[in-house]
Parts: sequence; C-alpha cells; structure tokens
Amino acid sequence: MKELFWIFISASLVSNFTLALFLGLCPFLGVSGKVATAVRMGMANIFVLVITSLTVSALNTWVLPHAPYLQLISFIVVIASLVQIVEMAIKKLSPTLFRELGIFLPLITTNCAILGLALFQTNRGYGFMEGLVFALGGGVGLTLALVLMASIRETVELADVPSVARNMGLVLILAGSLSLAFMGFAGLFSS
Amino acid sequence: MENPRFELTASPHIKGPDSTPRIMWSVVGSLAPVIFAAIWYFGPSAVFVIAAATLGCVLTERVFGPGGSLKDGSAVITGLLLGLTLPAGIPLWMAFLGGIFAIGLGKLIFGGLGQNVFNPALLGRAFLQAAFPEALTTWPNVSGPWWALRGDNFALPFMSANPVATVTGATPLGLMKFEGTHTELAKLIIGSTGGSLGETAAVMILLGGAYLALKKYLDWRIPISIFLTVAVLSQIIHVFMPEEPGALFMLFSGGLMLGAVFMATDMVTSPTAPKGAWIYGGGIGVLVVVIRLWGGLPEGVMYAILLMNSLVPFINRATQPRLFGTGKEAAA
Amino acid sequence: MSRRTTPQEDFIRGIWKENPVLVQLLGLCPTLAVTGTVDNALTMGIATFFVLLGSSVLVATFKSVIPKEVRISAYILVIATFVTIADNVLHAVVPEIHKSLGPFVPLIVVNCIILGRQEAFASKNTVGRATLDAIGTGFGFIITMMIMGSMRELLGNGTWLGYPLFGAHFEPWVIMVLPPGGFFTLGFILLGIAWWKGRTAVPVRPRRWPHGVTTEVGGSTS
Repeated sequence: MKELFWIFISASLVSNFTLALFLGLCPFLGVSGKVATAVRMGMANIFVLVITSLTVSALNTWVLPHAPYLQLISFIVVIASLVQIVEMAIKKLSPTLFRELGIFLPLITTNCAILGLALFQTNRGYGFMEGLVFALGGGVGLTLALVLMASIRETVELADVPSVARNMGLVLILAGSLSLAFMGFAGLFSS
Repeated sequence: MENPRFELTASPHIKGPDSTPRIMWSVVGSLAPVIFAAIWYFGPSAVFVIAAATLGCVLTERVFGPGGSLKDGSAVITGLLLGLTLPAGIPLWMAFLGGIFAIGLGKLIFGGLGQNVFNPALLGRAFLQAAFPEALTTWPNVSGPWWALRGDNFALPFMSANPVATVTGATPLGLMKFEGTHTELAKLIIGSTGGSLGETAAVMILLGGAYLALKKYLDWRIPISIFLTVAVLSQIIHVFMPEEPGALFMLFSGGLMLGAVFMATDMVTSPTAPKGAWIYGGGIGVLVVVIRLWGGLPEGVMYAILLMNSLVPFINRATQPRLFGTGKEAAA
Repeated sequence: MSRRTTPQEDFIRGIWKENPVLVQLLGLCPTLAVTGTVDNALTMGIATFFVLLGSSVLVATFKSVIPKEVRISAYILVIATFVTIADNVLHAVVPEIHKSLGPFVPLIVVNCIILGRQEAFASKNTVGRATLDAIGTGFGFIITMMIMGSMRELLGNGTWLGYPLFGAHFEPWVIMVLPPGGFFTLGFILLGIAWWKGRTAVPVRPRRWPHGVTTEVGGSTS
C-alpha cells in the first residue's frame, strides 16, 4: 500500500510527468490557453493513460514474453486503436469538446505521455496494480501541469510581455519556473 | 502625450495618496530592522551578500527594464529580499547572478512590475538553490569574531568557494530533521541561530511586518493564515506523533517568518480577493508542514510560496467577487 | 506549399530557416529530456536522423501503394520499425548511453518531426527530394541537440563530451542538467532567436497626420 502511494506521489508531484519527465509536452505547451479546455484535455489524458496501462499490463504478461521485438509496435498499434475508439466516443458524447480540442485529439495517439507511460511502466517492471496507480498519478500530474499553465497563461495574456518573449520564449520560461517550484517536492514521502 | 486621447485605465479610478514608489520605499524601510539583525549576526559578509544581490537586480532592471522603472524601488526590494534569503558565506558572484535571474526571468520577461506570476526574489533563490545546492546550504557558524568573513565571499566568478574558509554550523530545521535535536525557543526568537541572513531574527521580521500591516501595505490575512495553518497542523501532528516538533518551533524556525511576512504578501503575486488570501495562506501553510515533515528537504517555505504563486491565477478566478447586480449563475 | 522548391532549398531549409525544433517547435520532448550531456544529445540526434532518413525514403518509395485512409498508421508502423532497429543497434554499440537514454529512444516514434515530414513532404515528393529533405531536417535536429547539449553540459558540469574545460575549481550549475534547466535553456535560445529576428525587422514608428490622428507605419515584414 505504501509502495503504491509513493508511486502515485512520485508520478504526480515529485517527478511530475510533464515537468520532470517531459511527457505530454505537446498539449502542455500547445493547448494550454484556456483552463476549461485544459481540464478536459487532462481528463481525456487520464482516461487514455489508464486504458493504456491496463493494456500494457496485459501485453507484458501474455504477449511480449514470447516476442520481445514486437514491444514497440504492439504498444503503438493497440494504443492507437484505443485512442481511435475514445475519439469516436467523445465525438458522439460531447461535440463541443471534440471541436475545442480540435487537432489535439488525434495527436493523443502520438502523445509522448501515452507511449511514455507504456515504456516507463515496462522499464520499471511495474505489475498490474502498480501500473494502474502510475497511470493515475501520471495523469493527475499531467492535468495539474496543464491547468496551472493554462491559468497562468490566461493571466499573462493581459501583461505587456516584451515582443521577444511573445511566442514560445515566455511559455518555456514559465514551464521552467513551474518545474523549479515542483523541485520542492523532492524526496517527498521517500523515507 | 502630444496627441489628445481618452485615457482608458482599469479600476480603481479614485486615487489615494499611496503611489507605487511610496509603498515600495516603505517596504524597503520596513526591511531595515531585518537587515540590521543580519549585519549584527553575520558581520560584513551580510553587507556584501545583500549588496551583491541588490546590485544584480538593479543593474538588470536598469539595462533591460523600461526607462525610469528603477525609481519605483521594486528592484531594490527584490534584491534586498533575495540577499536576505541567502547564507552569509556564499560567493558574491552567485548572489549577483541570482539577482540577474530574479529580475530578468522573474519579472521583466512578463513586462515588468505588476505582471509577474512568481515572486522574483524567491524565483532567484530557487534558481540558486537548484544551481548551487552545496553553496546554498553551507550555513556559517554564528559564533566567532564579528568582523570576520563568514565564508569565501570573494571566490572568483564561476569558481567554487574554498571550503576551508567556512566554519559551518547547521540550521535549527536541519538539526531537527537530520539529528533530531531541538533549538531553544528564545534563541529562535532573537535569531542567534544558523540560517539565511534575514530569516533568523523572528522578532525583527515581525516588527517590520507590523509596520507594513498598520500602513495597510500588506494583507494581514496572508501571514495570519499561514501562521494559523502551520501552528494548528503541526500541533495536531505533534500530539499524535510526539517526535515531530510542535507549533512554536515550526513557527519560529527556518524562513517561515521572513517568507510569510515579506514574500507571500507580495502584492503582485498574491490573490486580490480576501477569500483568496485565506485560501492562499492556508495552502502555503499546509505545503510548508508537508515539505518540512515528509519531504527530502529540511525547509520548504520558498517552494510552498512559489507553488501557491502558480495557483494564484486559479484562485483569483475562483474567488472573483460577484459583479453587483448579477445573479449567482452569471458569476459561475 | 504552392511554389515548387529547388533541391538545394529542400536540403538547406531544414537546417536553419525551418529548423524543426527552433522554428517549428516540434520534437521538444527529446530536446528537453536528453540534452543533459553532449553524449546523450548527439546519440539521440543521430538516432533520430537515421529514423527520419529511413522512413522518408521508404514512405517516398511506396507512397503510391499506401492507401490514403490509413496513411498515418502506415507511417507510424514504418517509423516504429526503424526505431526498433535504432534501439537495438544503440543497445549493442553504446550500451552505456542507451541505458541512460532509457525509454526516450523508443519514444522517437512519437517525435512529431518525423511524422510531420512524412505527412508534409515524403508522401508527396520523389525519393531523391525526400532524401534531401530528411537529411536537411535531420541535420537541423542534430545541430539543435548539440547546441542544447553543449550549453547544458558546459555550464552544468564544466565539461564537453566529458572533457573538463574550465579547470578543477569551476562551480557547476547543477540546475542545467536538471529538468528546469532544460526548459530555461530552450527558452533562452528562443528568446535569443526572437531578439535576433526582431533586430533586423522594420521598427514600428508613429506617423502624425493633421487633426491629431496618429497611425503606425512599418512593422514586421514577415
């Protein structure tokens, strides 16, 4: 239990998925203009991450021991088809969300966070429960980073940012500052 | 302005006698007792370190800032505060670099005063902490002759400090965390303990804070909510886990006083609504206790404030007062 | 892409004018994650170069056979195949670096640069031009990785490719090899580029008309 708790804290705060492991940067630096969108984007990611984790556990248990060279390709194919299903579901259930996330939904397929989760979970030898908690923690961490960035950017939009920093410069400095602040969680609950 | 135009500004339209420079220079004044205590305990090193940090801030503001922005005094405050959070023995070039970082990436990149998200002084401090962890946690011993340097302050730029030059001590929080020993409360209050320049003398900090609170230049809700949260939370934990320190030690040790009174209350990076101030202060308090008791670092005030700074836009959104005349639904 | 480009342009534009990372802001994940040392940055750059080149050639060769509806999936499968090859080669040749890169080698699959070039260029052009384009873009990526890796290793460790450059007393800036240092370094480079571009742009200046009307003249031409 303690181990699981630590995995969750680690993925969400200590080595935050986005701010320390650099997973899910595309949505973090791209979509984060509006808080409401960021929350929903985060939710979509948590959902896909959890499904991914379950799939990866299954693949790691039953398929990959027999064919290790298929690891990468099988991850991609299975995850991509899953995202396709999610996309269709969202299109059906919430057309507004589908419109707002625009091009980013298909990009979840090629989102580092999803494949990254699969690879990190495999690399660290996480089992079923550990993988699930890792996915949840990572998703929460990703959402946290997205929402913080979105709310900050909403505010900063009103500032007279110097022209050199208008585009990506300021966003990266903000990301660095957030990452710096998250260093305060270093070693949390590790002893 | 030559061509007549309507001047469009945001509220408030009614102006009081308090201008930005006036408030800022009052804050500088309120830091005087803290600086005095720093010099009293840490000798000439304190003067050098604070001066180097301030110089870094002021020069950066002068070179990259909008013309005349030095006069509002905010760069000086950032520099003084940054200097006060540093240990006495660090090489001066590090303090100077921290000042450049604080003003350059902490403030000017957002467009200058009033637009930044993170407290510049703390951002500079966090940068230095991450860049030079060893130098930033080498605490000089307070005993020894007053006039002696407390470390290798004059290490050449980009070079390490000579470790022999520093007689190192430990901070009360470090002693508590890693060796399990407590420091007497009286020592913590008057400040004769190891630590950063301006964080040890609790009584001087409270003096400056009280002055600013009376002048209404800081929102009293923020320090009070931080103190209350830290006190209540740590006392509850102390009851259940007696090995953890009690409320008084947690309040008077480390950078809590300095952070709560001078950093968290920064007008730019703290919430605007009263309700938001309580949430913000409470959040800082909780994070401080969590990081101090369960984190890998002995002290977490700096990170707690930076983390809550990043939440301020969110808090402001959530606690926006309802517009007069609109219904509940409209506000949501 | 209305105007036809010359082969030289195909090759040269990816290096600076349309640099995949610094101008198009693609492939930020590896640029930030593995540039703590020059070793890692260079290895990652070369691996990505190889995957990009291989996929571009293959995709350009078979572009008429790949059905339009499943083209993205087909590209990804092609890319994943080359990444698997690269991963295994790195594992055999430079096991140390391969270990420190960890999951970031397989993550080349989701590097937007590669998929982006397949969709935007390789699938529409001849094999030769796709090759030139892939080499140019790949070089642009390697150069960026080297700039990032050099800045971070020099300041963060005082070394370049492991050779100490600043003497024994240099105080390393540990932050540079930590995650925030990655963000700050890239942010700094982008600020520098924006400053450089802004320096040569036509400045905005007010032009006064009678009756107190002011308009703005000039401004960026791009």
